Amino acid sequence: MTTTTGQRGEPEASPPAPLISVRDLSVTYDVARTGKRLIAIEGVDLDVHEGEFVTVLGPSGCGKTTFMNVVAGLVKPSTGTVLVDGSPVTGPGPDRAVVFQDYALLPWRTVFDNVKFGLEMQKGLKGEGWRDRVQEAIEMVGLAGFESSYPRELSGGMQQRVGLARAFVAEPRILLMDEPLGAVDALTREVMRDEIDKLIQKTGKTVLFITHSIEEAILLGDRIVVFKSHPGAIKEVIETGLERPRSERSVQHDPRFLELRDHLWEALQGEATAAAVSK
Amino acid sequence: MSVTSATGTMRIVRPRRVVRRDEAKWTWLLIGVIAAILLVWEAAVSWLHLVPEAFLPPPTAVAASFAQLMVDPEFWSAFAYSLGNVAIGLVLAVVVGVVVGLAVGWSPVLRFTVAPFLWLLYSTPKVALAPLFILGLGLGSESKIALVFLLAVFPIILNTMEGAVTVSPSLVNAGRVYGVNGLALGWKVIFPATLPYSLSGIQRGAALAFTGEVLGEFLGGTGGLGHLLEYAAYQFEMAEAIAMVIVMVIIANLTLLLISTLRRRLAPWYDDRKIAGAS
Repeated sequence: MTTTTGQRGEPEASPPAPLISVRDLSVTYDVARTGKRLIAIEGVDLDVHEGEFVTVLGPSGCGKTTFMNVVAGLVKPSTGTVLVDGSPVTGPGPDRAVVFQDYALLPWRTVFDNVKFGLEMQKGLKGEGWRDRVQEAIEMVGLAGFESSYPRELSGGMQQRVGLARAFVAEPRILLMDEPLGAVDALTREVMRDEIDKLIQKTGKTVLFITHSIEEAILLGDRIVVFKSHPGAIKEVIETGLERPRSERSVQHDPRFLELRDHLWEALQGEATAAAVSK
Repeated sequence: MSVTSATGTMRIVRPRRVVRRDEAKWTWLLIGVIAAILLVWEAAVSWLHLVPEAFLPPPTAVAASFAQLMVDPEFWSAFAYSLGNVAIGLVLAVVVGVVVGLAVGWSPVLRFTVAPFLWLLYSTPKVALAPLFILGLGLGSESKIALVFLLAVFPIILNTMEGAVTVSPSLVNAGRVYGVNGLALGWKVIFPATLPYSLSGIQRGAALAFTGEVLGEFLGGTGGLGHLLEYAAYQFEMAEAIAMVIVMVIIANLTLLLISTLRRRLAPWYDDRKIAGAS
């Protein structure tokens, strides 16, 4: 695990082709009620390399979820291009899995069948191995023993574990997480943040992680992409440069962590004020 | 990929099921109220002679007629005739209602073109159309089945439609992310998510279905419970007529009970007391 930490620090050393490449991306919506065009995001450029953990930080309504949905293939770009592994994104694909803020579990399926959902359409359920893979994913997120429970019987945090298992079981190259811990209570949130960190370090996935929590952005990200609103666009991109494994306790006196936190807090504060004024 | 649990320290507690209490108490109260009403009724007719027995026979006379009906083969053949028509009409209404409701609810084009007509037809007093059905389809079963269908199908269509419209967009997104498209999306996500709504529409439709059958038999027919009831009323056999009505009430309530049991079996994730958010 320490070797991967070393590699993550300097991706510039020999620049390979980025896994995700976003160029001049804009998304606009027609608002039927007012007849105006709403610019959700404008002029977004971003490269994400294989194995990188990128957190996207911004105030609510800044278009960061729209940005992630474009990469997921759920929203079509108005202008610009999104390339994944060199080919343009035309829709969702098995190379990308999404973890949703509201979990988006199927309430009529058990935990086991919900996790199976991540597998059944993409690679089919032919062959023998799929049961083991589903079981393995369930154990990986710590839900062993809850295979036949229904989502309504689980707490929010446990439901999101199911969401994580469903994403992992598909074995995507890229994990897109849209404020996965946004609806989870504060204590569970910290525990799960550290677990997500461990899981990603272990599996080496490329991650785009949307959040509006500064601590989450710093503790998880190799790089932090800060979004501004009106219109949504990238304000700045910061390398965190903190040693892994990180935890709230190990970094909270680290001067780099404090510097980042102050910097991001100021950046977001400005954004929040701007948003309030423009309304 | 060998992955072990990253959550050794987490203890997860299975939430307790909600137990419904106090329901027995209300059942007893209901029984008491019914007994009191019967007693007042008996007293008013048999003992105080406030109402002539010819117009309102006492509960004891009704009970005697009821007992006679239960051993009357003519009653049972009428029973079978009526219930057969209701069953055929209702099954047709369920199939057509669910399919049309899903299609109209899911497709924005159909929703804007077809839905207004559905609402228009729903608000039409269909009872007024009953004589046309008798004229068009004759005195036999066909006109009754058509009436049953017509009365039952609209609540099913409209409820299913409403359910399909309110399916959570993030469930649909989850389906798309994991490769579920087109008809598979309908079958794996939209239909099960809408099922509780359809079943509550079917419940309302079933209640109306019986009205349709009896109405058809009233207006012109040669058999069935409605016909028998009309005959008893013309003969001024009020005790028998009231006994027939009680039979109908029992049938209608058994049907509703059957459907709500079905709903609990088919959609256990759906909370009866929570109408809106079936997520």
